[in-house]
Amino acid sequence: MTAGLYVHVPFCLTRCGYCDFNAYAGLGHLASRYVDALEAEAGLWADAWRGERFGSVFLGGGTPTTLDADELARLLARLRERFDLEPGAEVTIEANPDTVDEEKLAALREAGYTRLSMGAQSFDQRVLDALERVHGPASVHRAFAAARAAGHTDVNLDLIYGANGETLASWRRTLEETIALRPEHVSAYALTIEPATPLGRKVQAGLVPGPEPDLQADMFDLACELLGEAGYGHYEVSNWAFPGFECRHNLGYWRKQPYLGLGAGAHSYRDGRRWWNVRPPAEYLDVVEHGQRPVGGEERLTPEDERLEDVFLKLRILEGVPVASVDRDVASGFLQQGLLRRRDGHLVPTERGMLLLNELVLALAG
Amino acid sequence: MTETNRLRNFCIVAHIDHGKSTLADRILELTHAVAARDMRDQYLDRMDLERERGITIKAQAVRLTYQLDDTYVLNLIDTPGHVDFTYEVSRSLAACEGAVLLVDAAQGIEAQTLANFHLARDAGLAIIPALNKIDLPQADPEETAREVGELVGWDPKDVLRISAKTGQDVPALLQKVIELVPAPQGRREDPLRALVFDSTFDAYRGVVAYVRVKDGVLPSRAKIHLMAANADSEAEECGVFAPEATPVPELGPGEVGYLVTGMKDVHLAKVGDTVTIAGKHRAREPLPGYREPKPMVWSGLYPAEGGDYTALRDALDKLKLNDAALQYEPETSKALGFGFRCGFLGLLHMDIVKERLEREFGLELIATAPNVEFHVIRGNEVIVVHNPSEMPAPGTYDHVEEPVVLATIVTPSTYLGAVLELCQSRRGELIDITYLSPERAEVHYRLPLAEIIFDFFDQLKSKTRGYASLDYEPVGYERADLVRVDILLHGEPVDAFSSVVHRDKAAQYGRQLVERLRELIPRQLFDVAIQAAIGSRVVARETIKAKRKDVLAKCYGGDITRKRKLLEQQKKGKARLRRVGRVDVPQEAFIAALRVDQRAGQKAGQRTGGKP
Repeated sequence: MTAGLYVHVPFCLTRCGYCDFNAYAGLGHLASRYVDALEAEAGLWADAWRGERFGSVFLGGGTPTTLDADELARLLARLRERFDLEPGAEVTIEANPDTVDEEKLAALREAGYTRLSMGAQSFDQRVLDALERVHGPASVHRAFAAARAAGHTDVNLDLIYGANGETLASWRRTLEETIALRPEHVSAYALTIEPATPLGRKVQAGLVPGPEPDLQADMFDLACELLGEAGYGHYEVSNWAFPGFECRHNLGYWRKQPYLGLGAGAHSYRDGRRWWNVRPPAEYLDVVEHGQRPVGGEERLTPEDERLEDVFLKLRILEGVPVASVDRDVASGFLQQGLLRRRDGHLVPTERGMLLLNELVLALAG
Repeated sequence: MTETNRLRNFCIVAHIDHGKSTLADRILELTHAVAARDMRDQYLDRMDLERERGITIKAQAVRLTYQLDDTYVLNLIDTPGHVDFTYEVSRSLAACEGAVLLVDAAQGIEAQTLANFHLARDAGLAIIPALNKIDLPQADPEETAREVGELVGWDPKDVLRISAKTGQDVPALLQKVIELVPAPQGRREDPLRALVFDSTFDAYRGVVAYVRVKDGVLPSRAKIHLMAANADSEAEECGVFAPEATPVPELGPGEVGYLVTGMKDVHLAKVGDTVTIAGKHRAREPLPGYREPKPMVWSGLYPAEGGDYTALRDALDKLKLNDAALQYEPETSKALGFGFRCGFLGLLHMDIVKERLEREFGLELIATAPNVEFHVIRGNEVIVVHNPSEMPAPGTYDHVEEPVVLATIVTPSTYLGAVLELCQSRRGELIDITYLSPERAEVHYRLPLAEIIFDFFDQLKSKTRGYASLDYEPVGYERADLVRVDILLHGEPVDAFSSVVHRDKAAQYGRQLVERLRELIPRQLFDVAIQAAIGSRVVARETIKAKRKDVLAKCYGGDITRKRKLLEQQKKGKARLRRVGRVDVPQEAFIAALRVDQRAGQKAGQRTGGKP
């Protein structure tokens, strides 16, 4: 079983209204100190993780591509020195369309980044406005073309559906434009309103309507239909890929493979223990620069936690749970309702079941 | 023991918030009954609940001495002030010879002023009217004195004007009490008759009765006999409240105090019973006016967690030790499991019991919508129904009778139209309208009790901008065209949702309740039909569409912990739902019927406002 390495880059050009990740605009001046700190933190963990083979690296954010190509190249090189990366490891970097051009993308490819995950979100300007994204649909086309020209052959487009004003018809156009580009991987997320975000506050104050769950359900169905017809396999609730292009790194999380997170607020997991770094970048820098591991908290999973997580994670990636592990009446109810199906002695959610996954998890883990 | 000619037994009666407890506090100070360092507001209200709500639930008595031409002993009896406790008030009044009728000079006469005045007059008490709060800028002493004078038959200029808050003219009031309240009658030689005007249960001393000796002498230790309960006991101690309990060798005629009865069951010393000496010195006739406590309002109480049934039973048993009016019997609901059908004197009493169960015993409870006691008449048989779901099927009985009250409403004349409209809409029958002044009317209505127990008082307040006041007394049972409205959830009748409603209102009630339940019950994994039915006829139907989406969209950067916590939260939320058949129902839904007539945001239930 290989391990994963996650590297968090908390910088963004601007903050999007819906986003509650650990990301900050206006901290660009900390960038080079931060890269140094990431390299230093890698050093603090290297001994403890010696012997683990890393099958994937994922630079997420934030917007990792706010860093220079040189910095990103140097960072990956240092990580290779500290950790045992498999030959042919998947190395993903998240990119914002406005922060990349062909030259930079080529340099990243040259440096060993094998997979590009681009935050497109939508091809409808109104939806991008509602999400407070600064780029327009044209930037996505330009950045995608640049990625191809730079030789990237494993590209993901991130989409978000259900923003205020989006209709089923406009979502269909977004899906169609996405499919026309033929990215190897598509992530389509239902917009979730997080209370501690500018958008969340607007929804709470009644200034903006929240997403309509039934419309989002229709949008999910449409995504299943159109992406399926286009040859994408639906391998996780929100993820589709051409065969062989499933994201190894994310599958690692769901399969409970060990992973090490570097950077502010990054999460790690190994041997039944989860821990996470301090979130504020300034605090992270301070701790690491004092030669300490920047761990902010941890938990050991109880058997009940393990059970809930197992069911939750295995249902998400359609591995399912063994038929015999579930109460017979509970299982037969869901089978009859068409929310679960049987596959190789396992109970696996149907597409309708994926949309009601919380219900399934709570009933099956109970 | 005090010579009766220097004894005065009196109480203060007033509408809620007219300053009764504050006046009692001033009197305690003036008579030096309580050391200044021990003084606190609402001194006589000992229960936390009383102090928080600004109401008096248990009667209290306090013995005071006051120096005038001579040294007088005053017994001040603090009565409960709520319509739920009218009988208890009447017994407290029966323990007195006089009453101070306290009226807020800014508010004027209110419904409870009238009700208390009539009770006091019927009890033959000397009534001393007094206007309170004359220090307030909005006080209108001239007009209020005119109203009060007219009510009690005094020249308005003789009506005392005081401020309980500042103490202004409280001494003059005490002087009037001494002058006008007759000294108690009663002879030492007669057989003992002492009125029980309240009783409490003390874990160490057993049942302690609050008594007023009418005739004869109550010795400290004696073999006593409770006449209504027909029970004997060895009394262990008697004493007075000065204001803390202080033993005395005996209580003579006219005196007020406590009696440690030696009994272990408060139901043997109920309010209104007569204490006499057991054996040959026994009195022949009890004091008049005793009545068995009669619950007016019934509700099912169920533990929110199924396993707490035994804890609920133990808690009710303990509360009942101190509350002879509380009744309960076990019942089983298909929807709510094992619980109790409980009878209360009124909605306030119900609120208090529920709150004490939750607060003092740490229970979480589901209460079903309260209902009155119905009498189903079948030939010569009267079937008493305390739970709407037990109402027999239509066609299996002759008719149904429901309790009716005579309501007194005092309202500014400008809102008279709104008040009449409200009463008409509640199946009221107008008796008369009289005017206290050109601006204020006193309205009498016959109303079915069932129509006023839910939200009538809130509606009355909101339609009169808070100015109207209400009091009522039960006047018996009357025939009414009532039907049972059942609620079916996913095709299954839910007993806890059944209610008994007038036929003309049943369909509308059904529609409103169904609509409300549709809002309260979360979407399930399948369509859920909610129907209201009268017999087999469905009068309303709504559908809760199946939930389609319930999934955490994104699982970012390996933060599984957060996702798991969200799921755990959701699991906790589910645990608070009741599974009824296949449908998960939130606990709020079981009292939804309470709020059917109301717009969102209004608070239902509580009839009395407390002090802020």
